Amino acid sequence: MAESRRVVVTGLGLVSPVGLDEKTFWGNMLAGRHSIRRLSVLDPTQFKSPNGATVDDQIFSEALEKRSIRPFDRALDMAMLASTCALESGGIECAAEPPRRNMAVITGTGGGVVGNVAESFNRFAEKGLRGVRPTTVIRIINNSISSMISIRFRLTGPNYAVTSACTSALNAIGIGFRMIRDGYIDCALCGGTDAMFIPAIYGAWDRIGAMSENPDPEKASRPFDRDRDGFVLGEGAGMILMETNESAKARGARVRGEIAGYGESSDATHIAKPDKDGQIIALKAALADAQTRPSEIGYINAHGTGTTANDESESQAIREVFGSSADQVLVGSNKSLFGHLMGASGAVETIATIMGLEAGRVPPNLNLDNPDPACNLRFVSGTATDISSPLALKNSFGFGGNNAVMVLRRYEI
Amino acid sequence: MTRQDICSRLRELMKKSSPRQVDWNAYTEQSGIAGLGFDSLSVLDLIYDVQQAFDLEFDAEELTGIETVGDLVTFIDGKLSAKG
Repeated sequence: MAESRRVVVTGLGLVSPVGLDEKTFWGNMLAGRHSIRRLSVLDPTQFKSPNGATVDDQIFSEALEKRSIRPFDRALDMAMLASTCALESGGIECAAEPPRRNMAVITGTGGGVVGNVAESFNRFAEKGLRGVRPTTVIRIINNSISSMISIRFRLTGPNYAVTSACTSALNAIGIGFRMIRDGYIDCALCGGTDAMFIPAIYGAWDRIGAMSENPDPEKASRPFDRDRDGFVLGEGAGMILMETNESAKARGARVRGEIAGYGESSDATHIAKPDKDGQIIALKAALADAQTRPSEIGYINAHGTGTTANDESESQAIREVFGSSADQVLVGSNKSLFGHLMGASGAVETIATIMGLEAGRVPPNLNLDNPDPACNLRFVSGTATDISSPLALKNSFGFGGNNAVMVLRRYEI
Repeated sequence: MTRQDICSRLRELMKKSSPRQVDWNAYTEQSGIAGLGFDSLSVLDLIYDVQQAFDLEFDAEELTGIETVGDLVTFIDGKLSAKG
């Protein structure tokens, strides 16, 4: 690959249940201070799954106010704040004039602006057509997220939303990575967002039976553990700023990590049941794209939802692709710390992986008291663990049979 | 509802739906609605919010000629009086 087409990460922005700034986020992650609580934004007695991981409303509102972000929809507001932080951390002047040409905005989202959708339906049910806001259309299109980010920051590259359930954010980052590497754009702001703590939506997840029904918030999220019984819903957003290595060097930007390769696939078998064969295709494609062997990978930030089906199929896929190297590579899931951020998970977990490679240390897996024999891998323990390899994988899989895998590298000039 | 009540309520509604950063301390009845950040799209939100907040029904065309906050306060006051 030509030097000019190396794609590096120069800005990180996140809104998560364990922190809305890098320092708080990373401190809580490494210390294993999780954010899973008994539901407070919804009535927990209504649901079989009584726990969730939500963003601190007061800190979030103050952060929006500080940056003059006018609330529009919770998922969009989170993406807007994460984008602002990513550009700030990347040393990019916000809302530059003239417009910043050739920077794309690609936002992944599972539910999209579901808060606005729910509100419009509620108003129609209450008042009929008289209750329909004239600007409803622009409030309920999912690309309002990427569009409003591009408008606020005057970014004139392509903008659109990617929707592939829990794979959305990693797909969005992967698309941006390819666009830069292949020379279509110079830089991209990519990631994901989701905010689904709305009674009808949370109720839908509750009824499909994918969420943990463990009443104890301390123990509910336990990826790869024998006694896991589902994921805990979270909310948040993550956005990363990517550009060519040449561009980063020219402007003296602090490089946080490198995207070394990306692979994706579809199971083409079932809309909700994961299939290891589809995951294997994505894993192999990512490794090939990065021209990397499994033995070179030191850490896998797993999708690791804590559902019986995901953790088992993901473990089998990793073992099959990694062969004997599966006994060496460390595997961890961040979802025991902040739940499943759905369409944002791939972005926030990519950020955690980049920070882990930078620090040479990755966050713990909480509640992995008895690793499931069906998930026969070498897992990160209950405390933060050192890693030495400069290469890591990030997996994201989703309803729809979507699989995405990214190879991340610690930056070396 | 007094004229001042309407004016204050309107300020809150405008603050919520204006897409621009505006110095709301400078808001008076003489303020121009366009100067408060409203364009052809966001003014639709404002009309909707006024209808919902004051429980009024009217066509957007009835607002033709309204340019200042004071004009809009007078319009709302008239509609509320007509409603009884």
